[in-house]
Amino acid sequence: MASFHAVIIGGGGTGAAVAHDLTLRGYKVTLVERGEVTSGTTGRHHGLLHSGARYAVKDKESAVECIDENMILRRIAPGSFELNDGLFVALTEEEANYSHEFIEACHECGIPARRLSAKEVLACEPNVNPDVIMGVQVPDATMDAMRMPLRFFATAKHSGATIKTYTEVVDFIKRGNAVSAIRVRDHTTNKEYEIGGDIFISAAGAWSGKIGDMVGVEVPIRPSPGVMLAVRGRLCNMVINRLHASGDGDIIVPQRALSVVGTSSWVVDDPDNLGLPRDHIDMMIKYGSELIPGVRTAPFRAAWSAARPLIGPRGADTGRELSRTFKCFDHADEGVEGFVTITGGKATTLRGMAEATANVVCQKMGLEIPCGTREFTLLPHTAYYA
Amino acid sequence: MPDIQPTTDKARPKSSLKAWFHPRGRSISTIAFALNRLTAIGLTLYLFLHLVVLSQLLRGPEGWNSFVSIAKSPIFLTLDVILLFGVVYHMFNGIRVALVGMGVANQRQKGLFYGLVGIALILFVVGAVLIYTK
Amino acid sequence: MAEQIIEFKVQRYKQGQPAPTYQTFKTLCDDNTTVLVALQDIRRDQDGSLVLRHSCHHASCGTCGMRVNGKEELGCVVKVLDLGTSTVTVEPMRNMPIISDLVVNMEPFYDRYNAVGMPYVRQSEYLDEADLAEGLEAYQRYENCIECNLCVSGCPIMGSDELYLGPATLAAARRVIEEPRGVPTKPLLDWVDSENGCWRCHVAYECNTACPSEVYPGDQIMALRRDLTKRKFRGLFGRGGKG
Repeated sequence: MASFHAVIIGGGGTGAAVAHDLTLRGYKVTLVERGEVTSGTTGRHHGLLHSGARYAVKDKESAVECIDENMILRRIAPGSFELNDGLFVALTEEEANYSHEFIEACHECGIPARRLSAKEVLACEPNVNPDVIMGVQVPDATMDAMRMPLRFFATAKHSGATIKTYTEVVDFIKRGNAVSAIRVRDHTTNKEYEIGGDIFISAAGAWSGKIGDMVGVEVPIRPSPGVMLAVRGRLCNMVINRLHASGDGDIIVPQRALSVVGTSSWVVDDPDNLGLPRDHIDMMIKYGSELIPGVRTAPFRAAWSAARPLIGPRGADTGRELSRTFKCFDHADEGVEGFVTITGGKATTLRGMAEATANVVCQKMGLEIPCGTREFTLLPHTAYYA
Repeated sequence: MPDIQPTTDKARPKSSLKAWFHPRGRSISTIAFALNRLTAIGLTLYLFLHLVVLSQLLRGPEGWNSFVSIAKSPIFLTLDVILLFGVVYHMFNGIRVALVGMGVANQRQKGLFYGLVGIALILFVVGAVLIYTK
Repeated sequence: MAEQIIEFKVQRYKQGQPAPTYQTFKTLCDDNTTVLVALQDIRRDQDGSLVLRHSCHHASCGTCGMRVNGKEELGCVVKVLDLGTSTVTVEPMRNMPIISDLVVNMEPFYDRYNAVGMPYVRQSEYLDEADLAEGLEAYQRYENCIECNLCVSGCPIMGSDELYLGPATLAAARRVIEEPRGVPTKPLLDWVDSENGCWRCHVAYECNTACPSEVYPGDQIMALRRDLTKRKFRGLFGRGGKG
């Protein structure tokens, strides 16, 4: 085949997976990222490999995506997860009653879910609130938010993709109604140059609205930050979730020797200016210690904000009502050729997002090449730097 | 297992001696290390000096007696005191390094430093007083 | 809520420039502002060309290693106002080639670290009294080392001898020897038993001070020496070969 040159903007998990997918399909791939790879939202999430259970009742589409991708990632990225499963715990009668609907919905989505008595919950996780009524075990896991996507970068790089970090897009150059090149600035040298290509893919996540503005297309994206809190000490081995409809501070993800409590949700205009609301940190301590009382006394390690890229109209206000699924926009519909945007979604579904994007790209190019990422074992993360 | 190749990158800062003796942002253990290196260099130089001095014996009783008279001057005594510091410090810190190097008490290396070097300092002060007053 | 304008003296370097320089920025910090967030604020509001590495913001990824007031730190967990200085000096890590500003080239780090082949997950030693949930073989967790390079930056030997394997690599080797998980240990022991291996260390313990992730490489290097001494004695008395 004629080798098309695909240029990806954004070095997060999505960009990494798109680079890997397109490289496997025979494209020449260049990825540009204004900072270090995974320096935006990707590295900053709490590190949950979703089973999908969280979305099973209200957002079946996302739930099914999650469990499918969860199982694929376990296969193609072995050794990258703390495979300890997750527990949804009920602390009130209302939550215990909700468990029936919850388990049923999980099973409908193909998510294994097993009911545990209070005694069984506390035997497995002795630090959980002793008032727990019951629990549900699901195949959640912990990922290293940076190193798992890094395996996609490593693999793409070793298959020939070019990854340009500290390289920021400053302008888009169009020929007629099609994007034909980007102008970038290399911050390590302070020099600007152009990169030409056949197709340009914005994988800028929470920043894709800004990239869209530069091209002159509308990307309906809401940067929706959440606050997370890390405390020292590993208070649990399984991922501990609150058994209720999605809310604030309802998850504790153990990670290495830390416990990460997440998260809250609001919306901002500028993904570079999230702030760190103090009351949200307090909220993480309050709700987190309802799940595991030890959160309150564990030594503080860090608190930070990360911006989810949620698809939705600009009028949304908390972000909770927005779907967690992803969407690939072909801006040909708005009269701009050679430019697509992939956004929304979450870390667990990065491979699936890349597959969908690469399918759109192939369709635009008039090619029919199957996706190869489902069975392709990724290189270890350390291969990225060597 | 691979051999490590030196980097050819010019941007790697080169700073052998500065790296050993650069105190900024460093802890007491680096001072222990730097002093150990300094005293080691001093003691090595002393060894050669000592051989030179001993070789005076080959020149008969006159040569040796003239050396002994220099050796009693205050300047020379001060050099003796510095030598004594080098010996006791290097000896006691050496005991610490040997102990932690055998995996003994390696969690307590700072305590060992204060303890053993403390003993070394006491011996040093006693020795210095004896040198000057004897 | 305490708020204060803090002066940041940042080492700047762009490729092609003869030597690094320092540039001063002023930015408002409150008692939650970390050095990393302050630098990101400076990049957003004052100088978009400031190059730095960061990812997780909670000391789990190891990318934001730098020197803050001369000391090796992860920028994401150092609160600016806790430093207690009105000027905060920020410099890249020592002993590594500088790419630009605060970013160093990590290839020399991974050249040695990767050779060890340490598996990334280990059995979790936390809550070992807990029952295992159904379907699991053992509770797992990631290794402590976050590959931040701070130990290598602090090490005075690394500064004088760039062929030294260095604290992070030796600590990883020790973890494999302690718990091999299928990795052969004899070649590793032979590798670290050399003039550039664990005997090159001169016990300055800066790696222990610099380590943000409870690896304590200095202790691990000393443990390697103990392992090797044992092996040598066993060899002397004809009980070697166990490796």
